[in-house]
Amino acid sequence: MSSTLAGILFIASLLLALALCYKPLGDYMYRVYTGTRHLAVERVIYRLVGVKPDSEQSWGVYARSVLAFSALSLLFLYALQRLQSHLFLSLGMAPVEPALAWNTAVSFVTNTNWQAYSGESTMGHVVQTAGLAVQNFVSAAVGVAVAIALVRGFARKKSDTLGNFWVDLVRGTLRILLPIAFVAAVLLVAGGAIQTFADHSAWTTLTGGEQTFTPAAAASQEAIKDLGTNGGGIFNANSAHPFENPTSWTNLLEIFLLTVIASCMPRTFGRMVGDNRQGYAIVSVMAIIAIISMVVTNWSELSANGTVPQAIGQAMEGRESRFGVSNSGLFATATTLTSTGAVDSFHDSYTAVGGGMLIFNMLLGEVAPGGVGSGLYGMLVLAVITVFVAGLMVGRTPEYLGKKIGAREIKLASAYFLVMPVLVLVGTGLAMATSNGRTAMLNSGPHGLSEVLYAYTSASNNNGSAFAGLSVNTPFFNTTLGLCMLFGRFVPIVLVLALAGSLAGQGPVPASAGTLPTYRPQFVGMLVGVTVILVALTFLPALALGPLAEGLL
Amino acid sequence: MERMPSWIRQHVAGLRAVLVLTVVTGVIYPLVATGVAQTLFNDRANGSLIEKNGTVVGSALLGQSFTDADGNPNRTYFQSRPSAAGDGYDPMSTSASNLGPEDVIDTLPVPGAEDEGRQSLLTQVCARSKAVGELEGVSGARPYCTPDGVGAVLKVFPDRAVSVNQACPATPFIASYQGLKVECAQPGEDYAAGRTVPVRGSAGTPAVPADAVTASGSGLDPHISVAYAELQAPRVARERGMPVEQVRALIGEHTTGRALGYMGEPVVNVLELNLALDES
Amino acid sequence: MSTQVLEAPSPKKNGPVSGGLLDPKQMIRSLPDALRKLNPVTLWRNPVMFIVEIGAVFTTVLAIVDPSLFAWAIVVWLWLTVIFANLAEAVAEGRGKAQAATLRAAKRDTTARRLTRRAPDEWEVVGATELRQDDVVVVEAGEVIPGDGDVIEGIASVDESAITGESAPVIRESGGDRSAVTGGTKVLSDRIVVKITQKPGESFVDRMIALVEGANRQKTPNEIALNILLAALTIIFLIATATMQPLAIYSKSINPGVPDSLALTADGVTGIVMVSLIVCLIPTTIGALLSAIGIAGMDRLVQRNVLAMSGRAVEAAGDVSTLLLDKTGTITLGNRQAAEFVPVDGITEAELAEAAQVSSLADETPEGRSIVVFAKERYGLREREIHGAEWVPFTAQTRMSGVNLGGREVRKGAATAVMKWVRDAGGHPTDEIGHIVDGVSASGGTPLVVAEKGRVLGVIHLKDVVKQGMRERFDEMRRMGIRTVMITGDNPLTAKAIADEAGVDDFLAEATPEDKLALIRKEQEGGRLVAMTGDGTNDAPALAQSDVGVAMNTGTSAAKEAGNMVDLDSNPTKLIEIVEIGKQLLITRGALTTFSIANDIAKYFAIIPAMFAAVYPGLDALNIMRLSSPQSAILSAVIFNALIIVALIPLALRGVRYRPSSASKLLSRNLYVYGLGGIVAPFAGIKIIDIVIQFLPGMS
Repeated sequence: MSSTLAGILFIASLLLALALCYKPLGDYMYRVYTGTRHLAVERVIYRLVGVKPDSEQSWGVYARSVLAFSALSLLFLYALQRLQSHLFLSLGMAPVEPALAWNTAVSFVTNTNWQAYSGESTMGHVVQTAGLAVQNFVSAAVGVAVAIALVRGFARKKSDTLGNFWVDLVRGTLRILLPIAFVAAVLLVAGGAIQTFADHSAWTTLTGGEQTFTPAAAASQEAIKDLGTNGGGIFNANSAHPFENPTSWTNLLEIFLLTVIASCMPRTFGRMVGDNRQGYAIVSVMAIIAIISMVVTNWSELSANGTVPQAIGQAMEGRESRFGVSNSGLFATATTLTSTGAVDSFHDSYTAVGGGMLIFNMLLGEVAPGGVGSGLYGMLVLAVITVFVAGLMVGRTPEYLGKKIGAREIKLASAYFLVMPVLVLVGTGLAMATSNGRTAMLNSGPHGLSEVLYAYTSASNNNGSAFAGLSVNTPFFNTTLGLCMLFGRFVPIVLVLALAGSLAGQGPVPASAGTLPTYRPQFVGMLVGVTVILVALTFLPALALGPLAEGLL
Repeated sequence: MERMPSWIRQHVAGLRAVLVLTVVTGVIYPLVATGVAQTLFNDRANGSLIEKNGTVVGSALLGQSFTDADGNPNRTYFQSRPSAAGDGYDPMSTSASNLGPEDVIDTLPVPGAEDEGRQSLLTQVCARSKAVGELEGVSGARPYCTPDGVGAVLKVFPDRAVSVNQACPATPFIASYQGLKVECAQPGEDYAAGRTVPVRGSAGTPAVPADAVTASGSGLDPHISVAYAELQAPRVARERGMPVEQVRALIGEHTTGRALGYMGEPVVNVLELNLALDES
Repeated sequence: MSTQVLEAPSPKKNGPVSGGLLDPKQMIRSLPDALRKLNPVTLWRNPVMFIVEIGAVFTTVLAIVDPSLFAWAIVVWLWLTVIFANLAEAVAEGRGKAQAATLRAAKRDTTARRLTRRAPDEWEVVGATELRQDDVVVVEAGEVIPGDGDVIEGIASVDESAITGESAPVIRESGGDRSAVTGGTKVLSDRIVVKITQKPGESFVDRMIALVEGANRQKTPNEIALNILLAALTIIFLIATATMQPLAIYSKSINPGVPDSLALTADGVTGIVMVSLIVCLIPTTIGALLSAIGIAGMDRLVQRNVLAMSGRAVEAAGDVSTLLLDKTGTITLGNRQAAEFVPVDGITEAELAEAAQVSSLADETPEGRSIVVFAKERYGLREREIHGAEWVPFTAQTRMSGVNLGGREVRKGAATAVMKWVRDAGGHPTDEIGHIVDGVSASGGTPLVVAEKGRVLGVIHLKDVVKQGMRERFDEMRRMGIRTVMITGDNPLTAKAIADEAGVDDFLAEATPEDKLALIRKEQEGGRLVAMTGDGTNDAPALAQSDVGVAMNTGTSAAKEAGNMVDLDSNPTKLIEIVEIGKQLLITRGALTTFSIANDIAKYFAIIPAMFAAVYPGLDALNIMRLSSPQSAILSAVIFNALIIVALIPLALRGVRYRPSSASKLLSRNLYVYGLGGIVAPFAGIKIIDIVIQFLPGMS
């Protein structure tokens, strides 16, 4: 079979798998978040946590619960890293340095999982499983909870409340993430991923060298790292490491895991607002953007654009031979279109256009399909903005899903839309205006600029992947990137919840022939257009001086 | 609980939730997963270790260097890909090179200075290609590479051109560029003002495969391409005094095809192949 | 007094909404106003243009410090951009101003004869502005009514042309639904006593002046929302360009061999070019035209003789999903007409027709006239002058009218009344007549029984006549997603027959004001917006409750107070046009916003390569328009950005063409024209400008 055909089949099998899951998983999530029954174990948890699961929260209370939970997660994870040497199963690792511990805690709580640390030499078993992996679960569950709250805003009529955060958090973790992660973990072990709490061991290689075995509960953590669109690897090499991603089929499994929940969320959304067509429209937008992005990246990588790839003859630098160029390209596309940031190949060595596309994927706000939860709410905010402009063109004041998009709604949506570009551009500008940017670059010229742009894009969008050549373990980068992660995560979340509250309070406007239908290809096309054009307009100057300049040398 | 202000109540609930969920997802989940993994797939869960004569010599999933203490290839073994993990295949320091597609200009070492300079990705590729070519007795030529194994890159000034990766007294890979005389590069001199022009040259499809001249993502890539294995077969056979057909057969035995016929690329596990050579 | 402004565009019936014409002279006339608006204190209200003005000032300083032809060219066009934006608003306001001036003239110098409470018929002369609520004034023929109020005594013909532009006088009388008079109108005959209902300074004319001038124009909810979006986009582009500077400095520094260019130096992108880029990217087109669109929308209503008391109501009109229409006068012609003569056994149709005609000769009601005409047309019976006849007029007691002609007595009227008259005269009407009457009623008609002394002759079938073209109109509404409900006092049977004939979606029969109010509330509970018209005092609660309540100018003050629009023509069909104008207003906003944003793509393709191709020659690939030089590329983009504002002023004032159709079709069309057009047009426009200006000095 030719490589091209194999690559196409690889992509097709991913799309097919996602399509097959769309209904069952989407419907299942719908039942999880709308059901009234609590499992026995959930009741126990609610009692331990001390919350009443049947009480409803207003958007403000919901938001404060999210923030309180995240703040305490942050402190807990920070403390765990700092106390590492006192913990058992720590593999003899020293306490994590304060700045790095802070950056890592922020990064995992915000679902960014930016890896400023090198896992195999910094984190012991307990910090990995009871610290980092726990945040892999709960930060993902927080994202889904916020998305569900927004959908409730659309679905509810004249309601003051958006549900109960604690219930959404617990259900998402227990009923969705845990079971899928468990099955995936076992599959990964079957493929060769390691899963052990043993200690380091060493051996002498065939030619007399020394190699150390780096033990880890890799499979269990890899599963949730992908499923929760987190991305922080156990090892520095992340999903390129053979212990995390041993074979070509585990590679497909991991790509599937990091896209599956976000891809099925639109179904849940459609069910909750009582119109499955709305879900199909949203998922179509996601699919169109994803496929275009995939094609562009793979085209550029497979044609090995650029001087060095041309010298090599194949863009193999930074790729594992078992994955090859095209499968790696799909992983890279998927990880940047979701908020994952796991990598099975190293983006810094991608071709200019391919790497630029990865940056662009994140700049889209990671909405195709996006992070778990964050992808859906990001896309819905874009839909609100699209509806606002398009809705006017049908001669009505704009409405989406029966809710009027008035001054308050557009204020919140605009603010949401502002946050990420401001963080990315101001961060990049600041790094480049001071000497910090230039000294941290590994590569020179426009590629160096791309490294800095990538870093702030990744942090502000809570992605976590990197043009890893950039030396970011400095006070300047640890601080500014940490702030980008925090603001990039929680400001939008609060705005989304405020928007949800505002929408929930409205009574519905019934649809008529004069209402803009938001389920037709026409609207899908508009939403794709608005998303891509607004982002392109915002970031073209920066992209022109980075990836475009490099690609068009 | 009920009498506390609501914001404190929320933080208390938050703390409790963190602790409870840590137990569920951070203790119970990994322990159960480990239990199942160790029971069902004991070997794989523990790293797919490979023994030779009862001693562990490596993992089927981790690549190794087959070089001597000075880094020279052991000619009786198949060679792995270049590695950016530590000093090469160091599992404690996994890494890729992270060098970009236009990293083409070296910082030449100034004789006598502390700084050892820095090789660009292009020069690394060219140098590896040249070395592999020499080892396997084929041409190491590649596009954008000079015959002496560095990146063929000019800095063009209005009055002259400099082959920046070729330290004097080397002979520039071309004598003139668009009528300008091409000079060799003086280490330490700043050529930034010149226009960068990589020169493709006349090399066609290289004899040395791509994976032989590039570092992998993990730095631990246990595999090489079938093409690279085939390239090494005659040399290994010669060194070991084995018929080359037998070596080729062993390559075939240790080649993993694409999963289900379409996932990934066909690859050869180098450690397993070399072990098989030792055993035969 | 001149009324030419008011008369100019007469409302077109049953056609798509069109706007007024744009007179180029109007632009020139508005220029001084446009310049006055450069005052930053006023311009501050428009953040997008305010930023352009700051940019213009900044570049002016730069051009003075370091003059070049290119710099000055940019400076001039940046100022022109602001002026063009101001011009758009000034032109829109200018139309209203002329009208306001006319109205003011009507208001000025009016005096009033106010009745004192001391003695009957004793009055004092006061200025119109001194009148308070509940003052009572006397107005006689030739005098101008000093303020808004209700006629409490007398009847008069009034010339309301100052307000309505309609030269035919109207009748105003005490009691009933024609009692309201408006200040500034003129009594032509008779004498009326008017009780003032307005507060000082809040008269109809005052409000009208404020409205047409747009001086105290409040931004409407949707306009506020759109402004927020535009502000957000402006901030994004400001940040995108500001943060580009360190990136540009870095790019320049790593290419030390590249000489400084006009756009890029070691200090980054030059100020002039930076400002040009910002101005080109921020949504200046829609920012410049947004307020003109709003003013023009109100103006279009005024041209159709509708006064909207708030912009909010105009927006709401676009959203209306239920239209309540009174049957009489809106769906049907104001009155019923004779459609058939149904004789009883033994009487010929001609005999019946003759009797009916005779009985109606003196009947001046429209129904009576229609009987005479129908008899003439159908049976060739000519109108006759009859002498010695004694006319028996209709009264509420007798409920019939007729004529006594010598010994012959003919009556026509309600069945029960006429039958009783026949029986009283000794006649014995058969059951047959009852069947005929029921039959006519069942078909939605009104039966009038015709009788001579002692015997019934037959029945005149009076029928409601649905106006022409109504069915098509309602079909259109349905396509727009608007439900039409007919309101009538008729019985359900009659109502249904007319509703079916007219093609409305629903009807409310035997409607009381309470029923109407309940219906509106019910619709609104389902989230629908309701529009209705009304004129009577008993309509006031429903008018107040509805989202778009259009009061007829002929109606009572209470009705006019309750509604949020007043139709000076008192034409209930106008509601449909109001909805269309509301939609058109919103579409124009959306279309120009889309156009404005779509424009940015081409501008990037012009400016990015102009700025950076020097350091990264590869970026010249983005110069797909092949503009001749960086200078001309940047200047062309700036000029296009300014000229497009002027080019779109007529569209902003006229509104985007609106054809009633489904939302999907509308969107497709507008996306195609303003979205795709917005992407393509500037590519062509900038290229053409570049071709022209490349020969200017300083452009290479």
